[in-house]
Amino acid sequence: MNKDRALKSLASSNPLNRPMQHSSHRRKFLKTVAAGMAAAALPTGLAAQSNRPLSLLTWDAYADPNLLALWKDQTGVDVRYEIHISDPSSVNRLRAGETSVWDFINVNNPWARNIMWPAGLIKDLPRDRFEPLYADMKPKFQMPYKWAMSEDEEHLLGIVQRYETFDFVINPDVISPALAQDEGWDLFNNPDFAGRYGILAYEDWNVMDICMGAGVHPFREKSDEDVAKFEETCKRWIENASFITTDFVQLNLAILNGEIDLYFTGGTYTTAAARLEGVTELYAITPNSGPADGKGGINWIELNSAVNNPDFQESAFDWLEFITTVDAAELVARGNGNLQPVSQMSNPDLMARFSTDELAAIQWDEFDQRIANAVEFDIVPDYDRLYDIYSAAMRDRG
Amino acid sequence: MSQRSSPGPWFAAPVAIFMLVCFAAPIFIVAWYSLMPSRTFGLTGDLTLENYRSAVTDGYTRPLMWSLIGAATTTLATAILAWPTAVILHRYAGRWAAVASALIALPIFISESVRLFGMSVFMMPRGGILAGTMNAVFDIQIGSILNTWSAAQIGMIYIHLPFMLFPLLLGVSLIPADRIEAARDLGATRWQTFREVELPLAAPGLLIGMLLTFVLCLGANAEAAILGGRAVTVITAAIEQRFNYAQDWPMGAALTVIVILVTALIVLPVLSRLDLNRLTRR
Repeated sequence: MNKDRALKSLASSNPLNRPMQHSSHRRKFLKTVAAGMAAAALPTGLAAQSNRPLSLLTWDAYADPNLLALWKDQTGVDVRYEIHISDPSSVNRLRAGETSVWDFINVNNPWARNIMWPAGLIKDLPRDRFEPLYADMKPKFQMPYKWAMSEDEEHLLGIVQRYETFDFVINPDVISPALAQDEGWDLFNNPDFAGRYGILAYEDWNVMDICMGAGVHPFREKSDEDVAKFEETCKRWIENASFITTDFVQLNLAILNGEIDLYFTGGTYTTAAARLEGVTELYAITPNSGPADGKGGINWIELNSAVNNPDFQESAFDWLEFITTVDAAELVARGNGNLQPVSQMSNPDLMARFSTDELAAIQWDEFDQRIANAVEFDIVPDYDRLYDIYSAAMRDRG
Repeated sequence: MSQRSSPGPWFAAPVAIFMLVCFAAPIFIVAWYSLMPSRTFGLTGDLTLENYRSAVTDGYTRPLMWSLIGAATTTLATAILAWPTAVILHRYAGRWAAVASALIALPIFISESVRLFGMSVFMMPRGGILAGTMNAVFDIQIGSILNTWSAAQIGMIYIHLPFMLFPLLLGVSLIPADRIEAARDLGATRWQTFREVELPLAAPGLLIGMLLTFVLCLGANAEAAILGGRAVTVITAAIEQRFNYAQDWPMGAALTVIVILVTALIVLPVLSRLDLNRLTRR
């Protein structure tokens, strides 16, 4: 802010605003030039700091034009953004040196604690400023919340916001939701559904889902027997898929069109917008049980973090606080026409802003139960080995 | 008297530096990465050819084969479709040629993904535009090729046709009408005229179109993903997987180098036979 004031003061004494009529103006001009030259002599990073927009490497909800407009109105700070392709690809970009490009990153919970913090890619948040924000969240997120903290519990790594379970989607006109919740991942093992399901190629998620279908805990070390079970299930599921795509709209259309009856991976994220439009043929399922400590669902939690940019901007912290305000959290929950539960929904002021139809679209009545039936997303041990099996099965498809 | 040194190298220096920094250096870095141990992120590991061995033994020849087949068949199909189109536009369309060319070029300005999603809705079974219309209007139930390699191939032909057509238009315009008349007067059949006169004269344009289409198709990914339903994995999808979800940059780099080498092996001999001066001399 001091820098802003200094810039404003320089701008207000800009001699080009008025004609130089006498010596006092010349002196002012010379002083201004001297100040400008002094500024130019500052380290380039510092000089550039005030000019650089806040840079977000983010999922699309945080690039919602209404959210960015509200931020701009409140702070006057410009924002630029780029939408993720996937969590690993964005972490790759930071690894490849883009920490000097970005100020903010939001990826799923394990990345911050297990990868980005140890690699020095993100910055810890001032605990006195950010820990109180957790008090306004759902009880699940009360401090010390594991995924928001470093391994040694000394550093706060981010702010939790969007979260849900992400498992599979059915057409409830073909399969009853209660049956699907009871059957869980075995639906994809059922030969009757061979060729009747699609796969949303969020490939790290697919690996976890296939573990579930193989009866293997995705987040535990795998024995050779576990890997063999994974391999058999993986080949069969990929071979039996009607089609595989990275676009969930294609999968939703295929369900509507009767081409398929179910798909994985999916959840509120892939169905809410269509359900809000009145599409009743899409229903997000979290299995009642499964091999992950008795749980069959997987719960992702997005963690918003400040990138360890060598030219760090304080406005990154302001942004992290801003997104938790009721107005901003509402916009995030509705980000770019989608609907997504946010941790601040424990706040009655925020809850009051959602209509009955909107809550029905995100299946809010069973949301807490779904979260209870899900294990929290984590790094998959032996992921490399499992992913190589998965990608080989993909190559063998044709 | 001392001889003045030629200013040529000085004038060429900016372009040479640009090419070195923007083209040669990235390729060198990718090639260097391909020699690093699998699933490492540094450039200082022990050099190894293990990634190239894995590329052969771990089934990556199949995605490469699909990409080569896709590129070759698309090049051939677009050439067959573009030749009569170019001839008609050049010789018979008159003042409508510009309008027709603009209409063909127009889709290029629309995102490739959007066009492919449009095709996907068109091809969709049951309620798709084609199947739904056939059912509603003619009471005919048809299946669909959506989510097959054939659908991906049709998408590739649709997307890449303009890249063949416009160079070919240039090539066809190099054929003087009197040569064709002379050949016919001398008793050549239509096939002989095409083979002995038209094809050799239009060859530079045809070759450029074929090179463009082939190289673009070798790197194409969206068609197999959006229309093909990943019925097959093309080499670019396999490379993307290695860089992205597998976090295996060296292996991704090795596959990239292999694609570059295969492309160079096919393209460079053709390029060396190409006389660009002839194409631009009207």
